[in-house]
Amino acid sequence: MSDSDTNRPRATLDKIADRLLDATLYERIGIAIGSTGLALLIGLVVVAAAGHNPLLFAQQLVVGSFGSTGAFTRTLRFTTLFILAGVAVAIAFRAGVFNIGVQGQLIVGGIACVLSIIWLAPFVPAGAVGGVGLTLVGLLAAVVAGGLYAALPGVLKAYYGANEIITTIMLNFIAIGIVGWAVDGPLRPDDARSVRTEYLPEGVAFPQLVFSDPNFSIVGLALALAVVGVVAVGMARTSFGYDMVTSGYQTSAARFAGVDPQRTIVATMTLSGMVAGLVGAVFAIMVQGYFIDPSGIGTYGFDAIAVSLLAANNPVGVVPASLLFGALESSGSHVQIHSDVPVQLIDGIVGVVVLFVAAPELFRMIAKRTGLGGDRR
Amino acid sequence: MVATDPPADDPPAVRLEGITKTFGDVVANDDVDFRLEHGTIHALLGENGSGKTTLMSVLYGLYDQDEGTIYVDGEPRTFESPQDAMDAGIGMIHQHFQLVEPMTVLQNVVLGHEPTDGGLVDERAAREEIESICSRYGFDVDRHLETPVEELDLGTRQRVEIVKSLYRGAEILILDEPTAVLTPQEVEGLLDLLDDLRAAGHSLIFISHKLDEVLAAADRITVLRDGEAIGTVPAAETTEQELAEMMVGREVSFDRLARTATPGEPVLEAEELRVTGNRGREQVRGVDLTVREHEILGIAGVQGNGQTELIEALTGHRRVEEGTVRFHGDEITETGRRWRLEAGIAYIPEDRHTEGLVQAYDLVKNALLGNQTVPPYVADGWIDWARVTDHAEEIVEEFDVQPPNPAVDAASLSGGNQQKFIVGREIGHEPDVMLASHPTRGVDVGSLEFIHNRLIELRDEGLAVVVVSSKLDELRALSDRIAVMYEGEFIDEVAPEAVTDAELGLLMAGQRLEGEPSEPEAEATVDRQPGGDGDR
Repeated sequence: MSDSDTNRPRATLDKIADRLLDATLYERIGIAIGSTGLALLIGLVVVAAAGHNPLLFAQQLVVGSFGSTGAFTRTLRFTTLFILAGVAVAIAFRAGVFNIGVQGQLIVGGIACVLSIIWLAPFVPAGAVGGVGLTLVGLLAAVVAGGLYAALPGVLKAYYGANEIITTIMLNFIAIGIVGWAVDGPLRPDDARSVRTEYLPEGVAFPQLVFSDPNFSIVGLALALAVVGVVAVGMARTSFGYDMVTSGYQTSAARFAGVDPQRTIVATMTLSGMVAGLVGAVFAIMVQGYFIDPSGIGTYGFDAIAVSLLAANNPVGVVPASLLFGALESSGSHVQIHSDVPVQLIDGIVGVVVLFVAAPELFRMIAKRTGLGGDRR
Repeated sequence: MVATDPPADDPPAVRLEGITKTFGDVVANDDVDFRLEHGTIHALLGENGSGKTTLMSVLYGLYDQDEGTIYVDGEPRTFESPQDAMDAGIGMIHQHFQLVEPMTVLQNVVLGHEPTDGGLVDERAAREEIESICSRYGFDVDRHLETPVEELDLGTRQRVEIVKSLYRGAEILILDEPTAVLTPQEVEGLLDLLDDLRAAGHSLIFISHKLDEVLAAADRITVLRDGEAIGTVPAAETTEQELAEMMVGREVSFDRLARTATPGEPVLEAEELRVTGNRGREQVRGVDLTVREHEILGIAGVQGNGQTELIEALTGHRRVEEGTVRFHGDEITETGRRWRLEAGIAYIPEDRHTEGLVQAYDLVKNALLGNQTVPPYVADGWIDWARVTDHAEEIVEEFDVQPPNPAVDAASLSGGNQQKFIVGREIGHEPDVMLASHPTRGVDVGSLEFIHNRLIELRDEGLAVVVVSSKLDELRALSDRIAVMYEGEFIDEVAPEAVTDAELGLLMAGQRLEGEPSEPEAEATVDRQPGGDGDR
């Protein structure tokens, strides 16, 4: 029974939502590729309008991301971080929990990693064995700390009804504030000229295989891909993953089937935070070698939301999405140095890309949450 | 099967000729002919999805037909919109009322057709007009003219809808499943009202899938099946059996299956149960309940009297505030849903759309719903999708789910097929108790018969079964005893043969029957009525 006087904007929104919700996997991949291309095209037009050579700019984008071994490993470095952060977001979003706090969780995970290594280092023999041991300890500490820091908003949502979007955003500020104070105060060595912790001891690093780059190791990428594999298989083949994803699709049906919705929310947030913590550890161990003022860390946790949306919250889809974002991030820093296009313009273009590629998926999710797209949803 | 045509010089109120309407590949109406004579009630009978509502939506100007012609009083007409249909004297009472709830009855009735006086709404003229309509047909709606619609019960709202159509000058009224939301008493009132409207010269089309109602209300009955008009019969010359067979296209059995055993040990027991509803109000107020092996306990009641909360307390979905639940004699009050599910307490939920199925999942994934911890589908937390797929195929085959393809999304199935799948899956748990909440709500006759038979088979196999329903015929057909729930209590328990529908209706409205003990006898062994007629 169609209501003849449904108002027009709502009907149009319903139609778009319906179309997007009905899109097949291939259509969605097509939409993602198409919107990326369109966004880059608009970026080029803006660059041309600002009086720069768009072709030169386009060339710089490619050169800056894949044009040399250095550019390539830089792209892979960002890709690694985006993969882990994207998976962290995807876990939560897939289960219908909106974890916007990956940034805060990665900061807490990163500092926990660095501190546990520095504190334990005196008790461990120097050299390769000690280094590997400390690295593993650091990763573990980051996973635990990130998980706990995400469990908190999970508990608040599950048992006290606090909106997780708000609490996770607030916890981001708390993490940035406290870790920022600690890194500038008690944790800052006397001889440090910048705001940072002590350096990680010699030997705490990922082994340099294939590529030689002080800020990237293929082992880090392999770790990220392994996490993707574990999460993807866990979601598709385990009973826990089924419970989680079903809760995301239809909480009432999950509850009917014996799933405890509260426990699932807490478990989901914890898992998401554990992966987020790993981002901080990889950043500290592979990229930085110490920990810095968290307000100076890239906004991986926020960009990861766009990464996850572009991937339709599918952990495997996060990999190509991260490669795109990694390449853009990488070429951004290249273009900044090698062309006269102002940095604000580059950020703007990246912003347009994010907007274009993420908007259709974001709209899908909003449509699902708000019931747009007609009665049958 | 075709009724004799009246003399040709009196053109019918409505004649539909060769109406065909398709939606994509789906043929909703296939070359349908239909005629509504003046001053008669004509029922349009068919299963869900047989095309009744589509046909009437074409007549009401909501859809354009692909082919065919509409005649009103012998004149061919084209309706671009419901407004055109209204102008031609056709009114439609939708299943979901089209009323603005915060506005008063008066405002709703005149909405869009307000009498004006100098540019202002002339409330006095409106009131006089409505009062004259009400007194002409004996409606009580004029008593509530200043009441916001949201404060009225559903039966009154429906009468407001009818008055609204009459106010707009409707001579021909289409009522889409008008009894779906009403209590038995309200249904009777509605049927009387339809009689009065017919006596006043109106012509009515009554859409329904309930056989007893169309037989009671209509002069003539047209049966639709799969979008085609199967035939038109005078109500006086047909039977439920014949109509059901026309609807379904094969023989249908309404007889109760004979019992094969007498009730055995108690399986599920509740004592002094108190449960709080979603809004913090106590919805179950001290219920005692026992259901035994080889027995079906029916729970009757008007929706919202605590049945939902009671069942959820038994399934483990809702916390018990006070009282105890026992399963095979052991107390299980504090256990959750998953424990009880694994222990053998199966549940056919009230709401198949949001609870029973994940709409976006295919049937294979839905076959796992509730089986996430149950071997062999899951072992040590790992899902064996091959076995789950086999299970989904078994359900689809054994329970005749259409289309017979486990790879389709649940959302694409019709209501009856969704329900058959759920029933099949829940029976697949091999439970000791089956709790079924409105197991056939919105389900067509064919599926209804099938589900009833399965529930009775379960009883005969030795299960304890609890059926909550607001349909009295369903409770009568299934139950060995019927407990009536009113405002959170079992106010009485009766044997199905020992009461009339009217008596059950009174109990559901909270009135005790004369000569009954005032305390409910819920602790009951089945109280066999010696005078019960021998249909089993």
